[in-house]
Amino acid sequence: MLQGVKRLAPFEWEVPVGYVPGMRVPGRFFLSDELAETLEEGAVQQLANVATMPGIVKNSLAMPDIHWGYGFPIGGVAAFSIEDGVISPGGVGFDINCGVRILTTPLSEKDLTKKRELIERLFNAVPTGVGAKSSLRLTQKELDGMLTGGARWAVRQGFGIESDLVHCEEQGAMAGADPAAVSAKARQRGMPQSGTLGAGNHFLEIQAVREIYQEDVAKAFGLTPGQICVMIHCGSRGLGHQVCTEHLKVLEGATKKYGISLPDRQLACAPLTSPEGEAYFGAMAASSNYAWANRQVIMHMVRQVFSEMFHILYEEMPLVYDVAHNVAKLEEHNVDGRRMQLCVHRKGATRAFGPGAPDLPGEYAPWGQPVIIPGSMGTSSFLLHGTRGAMERTFGSTCHGSGRVMSRIKAKKVLSGRKVKDALAADGIIVRAPHDGAIADEAPEVYKPSAEVVRVVDSAGISRLVARVVPLGVIKG
Amino acid sequence: MSFEELEHTADIRMRVKASTLEGLFSDAARALMTVLYGTIDPGNICRHIEMDADDPVSLLHGFLSELLYISDVEELVISGAEVRITGNHLSADLLGEPFSREKHTSGREVKGISYSDLTIVREHDSYILEVIFDV
Repeated sequence: MLQGVKRLAPFEWEVPVGYVPGMRVPGRFFLSDELAETLEEGAVQQLANVATMPGIVKNSLAMPDIHWGYGFPIGGVAAFSIEDGVISPGGVGFDINCGVRILTTPLSEKDLTKKRELIERLFNAVPTGVGAKSSLRLTQKELDGMLTGGARWAVRQGFGIESDLVHCEEQGAMAGADPAAVSAKARQRGMPQSGTLGAGNHFLEIQAVREIYQEDVAKAFGLTPGQICVMIHCGSRGLGHQVCTEHLKVLEGATKKYGISLPDRQLACAPLTSPEGEAYFGAMAASSNYAWANRQVIMHMVRQVFSEMFHILYEEMPLVYDVAHNVAKLEEHNVDGRRMQLCVHRKGATRAFGPGAPDLPGEYAPWGQPVIIPGSMGTSSFLLHGTRGAMERTFGSTCHGSGRVMSRIKAKKVLSGRKVKDALAADGIIVRAPHDGAIADEAPEVYKPSAEVVRVVDSAGISRLVARVVPLGVIKG
Repeated sequence: MSFEELEHTADIRMRVKASTLEGLFSDAARALMTVLYGTIDPGNICRHIEMDADDPVSLLHGFLSELLYISDVEELVISGAEVRITGNHLSADLLGEPFSREKHTSGREVKGISYSDLTIVREHDSYILEVIFDV
């Protein structure tokens, strides 16, 4: 382990105040000894940098998929007091409300006799990759509807069913969205990209439920062994990227204006109650809604393909849940026995609200919210549920994925897209992408083992394992 | 080539070297477009941009962010940028070719230009830029 970092428990570590100058609270992260071998000094430095920001409460946190990002580390969580805290695009990222959802089907593995055809039809139905354009032709008014109404707008437009909405965080639309804070440039980028998957680590995956760890919870989630599921991972596309870029610039000015001293320009921030902070929050919430609508539209395309091929109804393909993992939200938490209004930033981290938390549909309330942790394209993904432990220790947060361990430059040197694709095909996993380079970039070898990441959050008690699902077919952007 | 990719676990980190500040910006543009589209060939579509910033680092950040925007909405693969910098003012003439799904198949989507670890330093007779593209 890095010098200056202290172990508190088998899976919990502290970065003491003083690790970097100006820290207001200690840093804390969750990691096993196995994962510690891949921990980068730059990531811990970023975790400590976040602890210098005004109004930060309790701890600057990182989940076991921590790695070196920009501004916040990936896997970073920080909560700021509404009264004297700040909001920062560096704590959300460029891909605002990048997130993941999973829906179940009434099919089992034996029903997938035409898997290759299914993958091909999905690949054709969902615009994918660099330069992919949407089949939707939105007007400015419709885009406004999307920015304000999120998944609710999409369902009203016919892209889904009413019951989808309670199975999204914030019921698919964050309050406080301000379409006027989304610039003409961001709108220009967003209009042709609504309902597109994007590229990079975004994907659409056909999966089968392979293992169940808690039967009663799996039942509440609607999961049965061998069942076919579909996982969708994408975000707010160019619209969110543009919002982040523009507001970062505004907040850089605000950082100076409000006399805030920061160790990294990417942490540019403004008081939550300032006009600049409020404008960013409004634009960020609008971008989040765009992302929820986007995943809703993509899910609709997926359901259409399944409906046509297998003659099943939308109602037979319920959405289990949709989680956001790049977002800042206004939430209420207990801090040292006191109820506080906070702005919780999660950058590459998932909300993991425990039993009885607000915002959960009735059937999940006894267990906590579903948490969806995608693996890499060759490895298992996991479903977990939130816990009281997460509410007490991490502002109701847990990990979001596996976390990369190999750079793209190294992946390019040591891996060939074609070979990765063939190796996965030998394991029965079909991969479809616009080009093979995208496959090498995202090969299973470049990620930390997802099983180890979820073992840590389960052992640390900040979420609990419910089920493991395995990939059968993957569409990569 | 006057740019190279450096190790970075999550994103793409580029090192660009040029003998002038203008050349540095121009090569940074090429580095960005190469990441985005893989193959870039000289094009004949012209665009002109102007902008101001407080310092060279902010100017470079604004310049690359603007290229990302133009390239995205105009579906333009920018193959060349003739850059002029006077104080903190930049003007640039861009040349590009239309994006083609068939030709530009080996690129990656860049979500944004990071301010983290964004540096421009002068070493002997050269300007050296390090920049992270969020992908």
